[in-house]
Amino acid sequence: MTTESRHPRPGKRFTSPNSAQADATSTTYAERPTESAAESTAESLRGARHFSPEMESQPLAAAEPEPATPGLDATLSAKPRHRGLKWLLLGTLTLGGVEAGHALYQAAMGGDLIAGAWGLLGLGAIGLGARALGKELFRLRHLRKHVALRAELEEHQQDDFGPESFGQGGFGQRGDALATPDEDSGKAGGKADSQQEDLLEQLRRQMKLGDDDAGVRAWRAACEAHHSPSERRELFAFHVLGPRDREARRLISRMSGETAVMVAVSPLTWVDMSLVAWRGLRMMERLSRLYGLELGYASRLRLFKEVLASMAFAGASELAAEASMDLLSMNLAGRLSTKAGQGLGSGLMNARLGLRAMRLLRPIPFHENEVPRIGELRAELFSRMRKADKGEGEES
Amino acid sequence: MFNTMTRNARQLARDVGREAHDLLERGLDRQLRLAVTGLSGAGKTAFLVSLIEQLRHAGLGARLELLPAARNGRLLGAERVSQPDLSVPRFPLEAGLRSLSGQHSPYGPEWPTPTRSISELRLKIGFRPTSRAARMLDSQRATLTLDLIDYPGEWLLDLPMLEQDFTTWSSECETQLADGRGDWAKDWMAAIEGLTPDSEVDEDRLAEIASLYTDYLHAARRKGGFVDLTPGRFLLPGELDEAPVLQFFPLPGLGEWTADALAALPEASLYRTLARRFDHYRRRVVRPFYHDHFRRFDRQIVLIDVLGALNAGPAPFRDLSRALDKLFDSFAYGRRHLLARLMDRRIDRLAIAATKADHVTPEQHGAMRDLLEQLLADPLKRLRYRDVPLKAFTIAAIRASEAREVVENGQRHPALAGHLLGEHEGTSDPDTQGAGRESVLLFPGEVPSRLPDPNFWAESRFDFPHFAPPQVDGKAPPHIRMDAVLDWLLGDHLK
Repeated sequence: MTTESRHPRPGKRFTSPNSAQADATSTTYAERPTESAAESTAESLRGARHFSPEMESQPLAAAEPEPATPGLDATLSAKPRHRGLKWLLLGTLTLGGVEAGHALYQAAMGGDLIAGAWGLLGLGAIGLGARALGKELFRLRHLRKHVALRAELEEHQQDDFGPESFGQGGFGQRGDALATPDEDSGKAGGKADSQQEDLLEQLRRQMKLGDDDAGVRAWRAACEAHHSPSERRELFAFHVLGPRDREARRLISRMSGETAVMVAVSPLTWVDMSLVAWRGLRMMERLSRLYGLELGYASRLRLFKEVLASMAFAGASELAAEASMDLLSMNLAGRLSTKAGQGLGSGLMNARLGLRAMRLLRPIPFHENEVPRIGELRAELFSRMRKADKGEGEES
Repeated sequence: MFNTMTRNARQLARDVGREAHDLLERGLDRQLRLAVTGLSGAGKTAFLVSLIEQLRHAGLGARLELLPAARNGRLLGAERVSQPDLSVPRFPLEAGLRSLSGQHSPYGPEWPTPTRSISELRLKIGFRPTSRAARMLDSQRATLTLDLIDYPGEWLLDLPMLEQDFTTWSSECETQLADGRGDWAKDWMAAIEGLTPDSEVDEDRLAEIASLYTDYLHAARRKGGFVDLTPGRFLLPGELDEAPVLQFFPLPGLGEWTADALAALPEASLYRTLARRFDHYRRRVVRPFYHDHFRRFDRQIVLIDVLGALNAGPAPFRDLSRALDKLFDSFAYGRRHLLARLMDRRIDRLAIAATKADHVTPEQHGAMRDLLEQLLADPLKRLRYRDVPLKAFTIAAIRASEAREVVENGQRHPALAGHLLGEHEGTSDPDTQGAGRESVLLFPGEVPSRLPDPNFWAESRFDFPHFAPPQVDGKAPPHIRMDAVLDWLLGDHLK
């Protein structure tokens, strides 16, 4: 960077105060000379060496810390391992298409109607297959994009200047700014500002929210010119995502309750198992639609896998903390009939799955203290099961 | 010895009584003591007026998007009630609102007149509680009693004097004088020329020299922009104006005398007289303030006018850094004695705010905060070590400008639109304040994100504008991040 950028830009006055969109020609400058100040302070004790300013250089790389657990984004953005399968499928489709077309052509030439019909049918089938495959791939890409955007928003949450990053240990974080003394942080801040703004707008489009959406309107009305990116994001989370969070919670509560009841009344174990799996997938799809994502078959499975993995890894400590509560509720379950107890167990499992999916799907990660907890859901579930059990008891 | 013990015991009994009363009140109701301080010119009065007005209009009309309680519609508003300690002056809210309304000035709204002494105000804030226990106790509506205490930051600069004796204080003043302040102290230096610790000086002459010393402090502050000036009461005497306790001054050249020689001086000597008064000042002025007020705050916000210091130049800027260093030390002060430690209700949240953020364009707020952080590097380390919960903000209590954008040569520039104060702004002279207000659109310049080196000032200077306050008309004044500050200072009690 040049020496000029190390010094703050001086003030400037614009003449026509009533129009913000002042014309360049009608603007006078009252610029003070500052650029030449203290140009020769760069020399230090070590024998100085000058590089030509045009010489290419890059920031001194610092080792990036590896993420402790591979998250959803890491796995999703990793290159697919089944590249061969993809090519095989693509090849089959193309070759099949060519062959069917060829057969059709031959049939048309030879006047063989049956063969022509078969060819046509084959072509149609291949077309349908290709369309389905394309849709799957498109949705998978959509999910990947969503995850990438989320990661980017999360990253900005850590590095921009908001009151939150300043307080608890935030001073240390800001030390980065000191480590790169040549960076003009005013400008960098401005850049991050507009970038962030773009990200939120991008998110809005990705969630398919128009300008007339109530949440978006409320968000726009709440934002003021002086709000920092993180403040804007906080407001976005409140006005746009808040209602969806509540909806998601209701959904999880309802669906896991239903699952619990279904398991409680189902007569066979394998029916239980398939019920739980099917309901879980179903819930995840609805959740993702709430947060503006449309899932295909492959992306749904992938998400399911990721949620399970995240429950196993990241959620392990949480599970441990909540295990005692679960045991307690199992004790409560002891007061229910065996079937109802089983139902409660699978309902809880389902609810936990839903909450975990919600955390992964929400485009702006939850704050530490607003992460949805299973505690309240548990109470709701239990009362629901109690009711179901009682009803059952009365019937029999 | 025995005497001190009984006095301590009596003090202890009184403290216990007071604490018990507070405790009871805290149990029944919610209560919080929030202290607001800052060196003069930092914008304490405007901050308090704005804070009270935001809370009063919180249920209806105030924009407090960053305060979750208000955003959720749980904050119902606030009401002023009579304060508990009737011996402390009440905060002049009405006067502040009057000057902001602009009805009593031909030029329009004016900034409220500054704080001269300590003042207090009690608010009752109504809100809807969320926690189950609270809902059970107060049903739909709960109140939080908020005591606001406003005191000059200059008084805090005196707190280190509690640990100094006259000799160390004098030598400290001597080093300060050498750092660019000599110009303002010429008269006083001439007056003490030839005075030695053993000379005898009569009362009137002492008063005269002391008043010259006070003049020097005033001049250094007003004209030179210096802030680290002790004794703080000389500048803002409060109720002690003209009392003999404020008639002393540092004595240069004490370093040439040994402690024994000084101790052997007769009672009527200059040194002994000054040292006696210094001791009295410490014991009867500084300590009571610490004991009666400072110790009992729950939350504290310190306002700092970074832009003003940048405007003033390198020496005042260094001085501000030193003064803040001292000032922040006082937040960790006094936990050394066992008794103090037992009785101490330490400040459990501290906010630091760079004020007047409306005088620069919004994208500069980050740099402003970085600069604040550098200015406070040392005290912050100490506070972090003591684990005092701390947050910093860039705020404007009353936003006097509007962020705009100018397109010039196809490029977009940030700009501010507002009204500049007249030429004689800042002076309290009622005839000139507000004269010739001018409506402007300008880019005020960038804020350096690191401490600028002195060379920089030599060639150019900062010239951040002074805006006139906006027309408020009985609504909550516009602001920058007052809501975030409120959330940090009160948010956890509004649950």
